[in-house]
Amino acid sequence: MGTIVESFANCSISTRDRVIAPSNQIQIFQLIVTIESASLKNNGGLIKPHPYVELIVDDCKRNKTEVIKNTYQPKWNEEFTVLVTPYSILHYRVLDYCKFQKDVLIAEKSISLYDILSNYNGVCDNLELTIDLIRVRHHDHQASASNNLVKVGELITILHGFHIDMSQVSNPSRETGNSTNNHQGLSNGDFSNGVRARSRSSTTAAIGSPVPTIDTNVSNNLVNNALTNNIRTSQTPPSHNNSAEGTITVHHQNGPVTLPIEEPLPAGWEMRFDTFSRPYYVDHNTKSTSWERPQPLPAGWELRRDNRGRIYYVDHNTRTTTWQRPNIERLQHYQHWQGERAHVVQQGNQRFLYPQHALGTGSGPNSRQTTGVPPTPVVEEEQLPNGWEKRLQPDGRSYFVNHKSRITQWEDPRTQGTELIIDNSDLPTGWEVRKTTDGIRYFVDHNTHTTTFEDPRNHVPPIQCSTGPYGVPAAYERSFRWKLSQFRYLCQSNAISSHIKITVSRQTLFEDSYHQIMRSAAYEMRKRLYIVFRGEEGLDYGGVSREWFFLLSHEVLNPMYCLFEYANKNNYSLQINPASYVNPDHLLYFKFIGRFIAMALYHGRFIYSGFTMPFYKRMLNKKLTMKDIESIDPEFYNSLVWIRDNNLEESDIEMYFGVDFEVLGQVVHHELIENGDKVKVTDTNKDEYIRLMTEWRMTRGIEEQTQALLDGFNEVVALEWLKYFDERELELMLCGMQEIDVEDWQQHTIYRHYNRTSKQINWFWQFVKQADNEKRARLLQFVTGTCRVPVGGFAELMGSNGAQRFCIEKVGKETWLPRSHTCFNRLDLPPYKSYDQLVEKLNYAIEETEGFAQE
Amino acid sequence: MAATRRLQKELADIRDSGLKSFRDIQVDETNILAWQGLILPENPPYNKGAFRIEINFPAEYPFKPPKINFKTKIYHPNIDEKGQVCLPIISAENWKPATKADQVIQALIALVNDPEPEHPLRAELAEEYLKDRKKFFKNAEDYAKKFGEKRPSD
Repeated sequence: MGTIVESFANCSISTRDRVIAPSNQIQIFQLIVTIESASLKNNGGLIKPHPYVELIVDDCKRNKTEVIKNTYQPKWNEEFTVLVTPYSILHYRVLDYCKFQKDVLIAEKSISLYDILSNYNGVCDNLELTIDLIRVRHHDHQASASNNLVKVGELITILHGFHIDMSQVSNPSRETGNSTNNHQGLSNGDFSNGVRARSRSSTTAAIGSPVPTIDTNVSNNLVNNALTNNIRTSQTPPSHNNSAEGTITVHHQNGPVTLPIEEPLPAGWEMRFDTFSRPYYVDHNTKSTSWERPQPLPAGWELRRDNRGRIYYVDHNTRTTTWQRPNIERLQHYQHWQGERAHVVQQGNQRFLYPQHALGTGSGPNSRQTTGVPPTPVVEEEQLPNGWEKRLQPDGRSYFVNHKSRITQWEDPRTQGTELIIDNSDLPTGWEVRKTTDGIRYFVDHNTHTTTFEDPRNHVPPIQCSTGPYGVPAAYERSFRWKLSQFRYLCQSNAISSHIKITVSRQTLFEDSYHQIMRSAAYEMRKRLYIVFRGEEGLDYGGVSREWFFLLSHEVLNPMYCLFEYANKNNYSLQINPASYVNPDHLLYFKFIGRFIAMALYHGRFIYSGFTMPFYKRMLNKKLTMKDIESIDPEFYNSLVWIRDNNLEESDIEMYFGVDFEVLGQVVHHELIENGDKVKVTDTNKDEYIRLMTEWRMTRGIEEQTQALLDGFNEVVALEWLKYFDERELELMLCGMQEIDVEDWQQHTIYRHYNRTSKQINWFWQFVKQADNEKRARLLQFVTGTCRVPVGGFAELMGSNGAQRFCIEKVGKETWLPRSHTCFNRLDLPPYKSYDQLVEKLNYAIEETEGFAQE
Repeated sequence: MAATRRLQKELADIRDSGLKSFRDIQVDETNILAWQGLILPENPPYNKGAFRIEINFPAEYPFKPPKINFKTKIYHPNIDEKGQVCLPIISAENWKPATKADQVIQALIALVNDPEPEHPLRAELAEEYLKDRKKFFKNAEDYAKKFGEKRPSD
């Protein structure tokens, strides 16, 4: 690649530093596959199919397009970035989506990438393939096997962004006997015309030596190169130049790609030996050393420096840049992320909460018509949050101003969302109300010396039922709907007239949105939104902004931005990436994301993917407990539990009040208390140790980022407004609910110490079927940590160690409450004696806060 | 630093105890998280050679378990071609912060001496071990002689 040589010269690293790859190695490349459209033969049936395409590369990774309903001429136009070798087999399967049974295969075809590369001299640039779709016919009277293969249509697909020097690619050993399977190439097999190719590029890219022209301005722009973004190249992307990239030596291997153990060192790296003749690696680019052998840059990637000398990486395959060095894991994440893209908008249209008009917005305490507003008890010793001020109306009524976000409200931000009075009235004699350290209300029965979370007054008839501090019945007050209407009311009363126009282009969605949101004053985000996608001018009656929220929220998760990461390999919940500082402007971006999330809540829109429960608790300023660690780092949690439950004096554990963790290969040390390195952990001080460790584990490496995000949020929507909600409700508000397919759920559930026919299991599903969607979502959230179902349904549910089905295990006695282990998607369901008991206990666990989920 | 303190003590204890079956312990003073040493099994067929292993401790040790790798090729049902070994004492489910490197090494030596074919990493070797012990022993011995390091004489 000409450009690579050039920039290496700039970095004064000569190409001879590069080690020639060992010959048994397979290199992995990115290939962009667009599945454009198909034309299927009408089989004479009355019902038209709902076709979608499954693209399988080398029998492992599956990518699916969306389903197009009722057509023989489906158009998908979906793009997938896949990892391939020059010998990969691309298997296209066109299926008919069936709602109630297994999807039916309409037709399929496999093509060999090698055949295409050898015909096009190793270059796939906008290469259009028209593929004959083949179906095996199952008629018994058909005599010969080959006659059973029928062409039932054509598929148009485009291969793009792949270049390789064919002189370095050896001819694979061909499989013999290709008549029974349809793994055919361009020129062999029964369907010699099975694949037709033509180059779409107007400039006839390719075979010769096109001139790469990358606009170098890009790297001079701070924001541009802080993000993965489009490098504006000419129509012809950089292509191969034989002599430059001598490292690509590929030989055929059967089966799925396995990474070679020894790879050549990337440019600028050197292997040295320490005094014990152990190898270590010096990176002259960044002047750092590492014990681990670096992975070379994937094909098509290049290391560059910006004008401040900072290193960044260019991906010529997708014409994007990133700060963090790419490796196979990151590329796979990226691939996964890209795969989601196709479904983002579809997902967005499936989410819902409650229709806003259904919420009684006028019934809140702030309603001006309400004369009986309870006086706000002001706790004078506690200071107002920073930026707030208390003022008096001419009629003497007090209100509160938030100068940061220019919000006014009647309610005292210090007490908002919490119950104002601990109401001891109406309690049976001998009872008392208390609160746990987490602020959860519980009841003490001094007659029997027992405690319970259940309000004894709940058993009295509703007429005598006390009203809560907001003047509505206590039971209603706890409901999510009521809280939501309170929140909506606050939003409405702080709305700002006129509108704010945000114009974005789909290609540069993130940057455009970032600039426009950050250059306006934060309170303007509370104006009516008017979103315009450039080139698609139309009125935004809500649909456009819904799409914008969904697309942009998916965009910020792009792994190449390094801002967020999936918590604990669980594919759904996000947490701040402690390594985000590789992006020098990361705090600005977190502030932007904070504003954006606040906008979503304020305008009642949803975002694509949610955060971890501990993150929501942090937003709500709730104390994090040890149990919270389990969902993000079960190993660490187990060790803490062990320390709590065991006698340390006996085990000589040799631990101190000092801790380490590693980020980007560097060990960061922290003392939990002053001179903590000298204070040994003992049975007497271990409670303190566990408390400090919990706090540290939940904040390490992400504190600044979290603060930036919360600051951005608070500028648009006061964080105090969220005090009504718990963390699970916050997720529901932010991500919305989706229709949950109970059949699918039941079908993909596994049992331990129960079986499908156990009566408790029957009761469980009876309960789920009778529950409304909100309850189902909350049950799912209780067990899996999120209310969202993966795109592929319950079969694709992930846990901390990869795929992990929803699991129900028999644990404990009937007096216990159900518990959950979110990292394993497991519900511990005690063997309850009756359906009613099971319903009661499950409801408890779902409705109440996390106190019930714990041991 | 947190891990360092404990590992220094553990290392000193191991060195003082003068284990016969774990020798030539090498630790770079600048990075106490990476150890190397020679394993000297007592049981045939592995008593014909010495096997170099590497123990890598995470920065979060002892909150997270160490990882073990064989640097010397070994013909063993529980150790794969890359030198990875499946040792229950350091698995995520079983790990306890009180577990010492010394116990881990002892468990490893016990596993090398007495393979556990019921939990194999290399199924074909486990099968051979169970069905044709003689052939297995011969292969393992040949391997130990060919790839194994010399056993210290003292």
